[in-house]
Amino acid sequence: MIEVEHLRKVYSTKGSLLNRSQVHAVRDVSFRIPEGGAISFIGESGCGKTTVGRILAGLETPSAGIVRLDGVNIHQVAARERRNLLRKIQLIHQDPYQALNPAYPIEQALSAPLRIMAKQKGDTPRTWIRDRMEEVLTMVGLDPASVLYKYPHMLSGGQRQRIVIARALTVEPTVLVADEAVSMIDVSLRLGVLRLLRDLREKLNISLLFITHDVAAARYLGSGGQISVIYKGLIVEQGPTEGIISRPQHPYTQALLSAVPVLKGLERMGADRFILAKEMNAQSAAETGCLFADRCPFAQERCFSEAPTLIDGDYQYACHFPEVRQVAAVAAE
Amino acid sequence: MSAELKHKQTTAPAVQVRGLSVVYATNQGDLPAVRQVDLDIEARKITGIIGESGSGKSTLVMAMMNAVGKPGQIVSGSVEVLGVGDMLSIDRERQRKARGKELGLVFQAAQNSLNPLRRIGHQVLDLGRSHEVKDLRDLLRKAKDLLARLGMDADRVLASYQHELSGGMRQRVGIMFALILDAKIVILDEATTALDMLSQASVLEIVRELHKERGLTTILVTHDMGVVADMADRVVVMYGGEIVEEGPSEFVLSHPAHPYTQGLVRAIPRISGDIDRAVPLQGAPADLKTYLEPGCPFYQRCSVAMPKCQESRPTSLAVAQDRKVACFKVTDHD
Repeated sequence: MIEVEHLRKVYSTKGSLLNRSQVHAVRDVSFRIPEGGAISFIGESGCGKTTVGRILAGLETPSAGIVRLDGVNIHQVAARERRNLLRKIQLIHQDPYQALNPAYPIEQALSAPLRIMAKQKGDTPRTWIRDRMEEVLTMVGLDPASVLYKYPHMLSGGQRQRIVIARALTVEPTVLVADEAVSMIDVSLRLGVLRLLRDLREKLNISLLFITHDVAAARYLGSGGQISVIYKGLIVEQGPTEGIISRPQHPYTQALLSAVPVLKGLERMGADRFILAKEMNAQSAAETGCLFADRCPFAQERCFSEAPTLIDGDYQYACHFPEVRQVAAVAAE
Repeated sequence: MSAELKHKQTTAPAVQVRGLSVVYATNQGDLPAVRQVDLDIEARKITGIIGESGSGKSTLVMAMMNAVGKPGQIVSGSVEVLGVGDMLSIDRERQRKARGKELGLVFQAAQNSLNPLRRIGHQVLDLGRSHEVKDLRDLLRKAKDLLARLGMDADRVLASYQHELSGGMRQRVGIMFALILDAKIVILDEATTALDMLSQASVLEIVRELHKERGLTTILVTHDMGVVADMADRVVVMYGGEIVEEGPSEFVLSHPAHPYTQGLVRAIPRISGDIDRAVPLQGAPADLKTYLEPGCPFYQRCSVAMPKCQESRPTSLAVAQDRKVACFKVTDHD
């Protein structure tokens, strides 16, 4: 179980003391993923969703906030222990083409972490590394005999991403952070990788943080999944996946859902679908009021003066004028 | 007379590809990346060309402009472009003029097609000079109008370098360059793939509006079935260097005929419907070895393959009006 409370990350830009400016990448993010649970962070580029993933994986230190893994605050323990804790959280990158060393065969990519583990475990049988490699490769749906001695360039994008997932699994993680893990994979293979992540959740009880801009992909992570919609480092809406898709309250969530292409012939366009024309202005310094107000087609005066807060409960949203709009496409049959 | 003319306009294809083959020279011999493709691009329609990486879709559109880079080589065929002639046989200067004037292209990564050292405005002038535009002031005015039409602050964009613009803005600048010389045929090669959902939706919306306003012939090349399904009137499905299915997009999506198209449609993650109905497609995408097989390129991944499929290649045949499929299972009736 992983718990995150009031996470904040501020980057300062380089420059003289006087004109140094601050970028609020993550403003206030709280969530918890139970064992075997899944949460998807959805938002456009620059909204801070990747930073959340990097903080969780230990690649960034938060400016404020608490990250608790099975009850232990990972930023309040000794460095050595933190390393062991962080091993339980594995990050899967977007680009499987860059995540594997092109000069090493798959066998080496997988055996390196296993050798360290074998040393830590002490008395392991001699074939342990080999067995474990075959076990994780089978788990991700690859045939060990045929891929083990191949080089990354001999594999397709989908196969590489499976290798990256297999490598993450070697160290027996309890949390996987998948950052846009399917967006660079061929469409015909994308669903297969999503299926795999879902199986890992169900079979190994791994918690999943799935970072994406594709709302549809989030649905395929299995039942009990949650969606957090994040905008400029702030969660604007959070709830069960199906609920967010069918009854979105926040205009930003609605904009994201409207942006999903409609499959003519299979789906009908949502009745209230709208296309957001204005781009995100990262520099806009309007710190009073709702962060989304300058782009929101439904913004009213109050939105510019007073910041909405996240309403507590199973289904949370931060909007002064919430209204359910039918924006997602619906099946035609 | 005018009615007759109008009729002609709607029936003559904007681009007519016949028997087009492109090979890539490798040390294992020549690999056919596009094989004997026949294709009509209807004027004033949006045609979507869909395929996975390595399906030959980008090579096909580059060949339409006779701009295949080495080691690729066009070995046979013809590409008749309306108002230009056969792109593969006219003289090189006329070809160069046609690219930009009649055929506009928007690339996937606009940052790679813009000069990083020159302001956008200067690049507009460069384009004007290379196409011998007399009135450069007028060209700049046109650029401004177009940029404003694309929802941007025109003066700021013209004075910017490409790195000062966001991904979505660069892609819109790319569209501006494709349209500024009044091209009537616009090819978007994975133009929205690198963008996030919101910028993709707004760029697509603009493409749709401009397509209508200017009476364009638009060719969308993408691997995203969703984009094609949302935008295109017709869809052309490519696999292993060949066109395996084509037809009106609504029908192809609701009643896909080729096993590959069926698998592809089933494998789209959707926000509607039952999630358990989505099934991943088996096997790996076509690679270089697939191109050399004598049989159907999809044979390895096909669940309904017959012995015949391994031996010979199915040809694309009309199965209904306006609908062609290259599959023995669909076209054989004996």
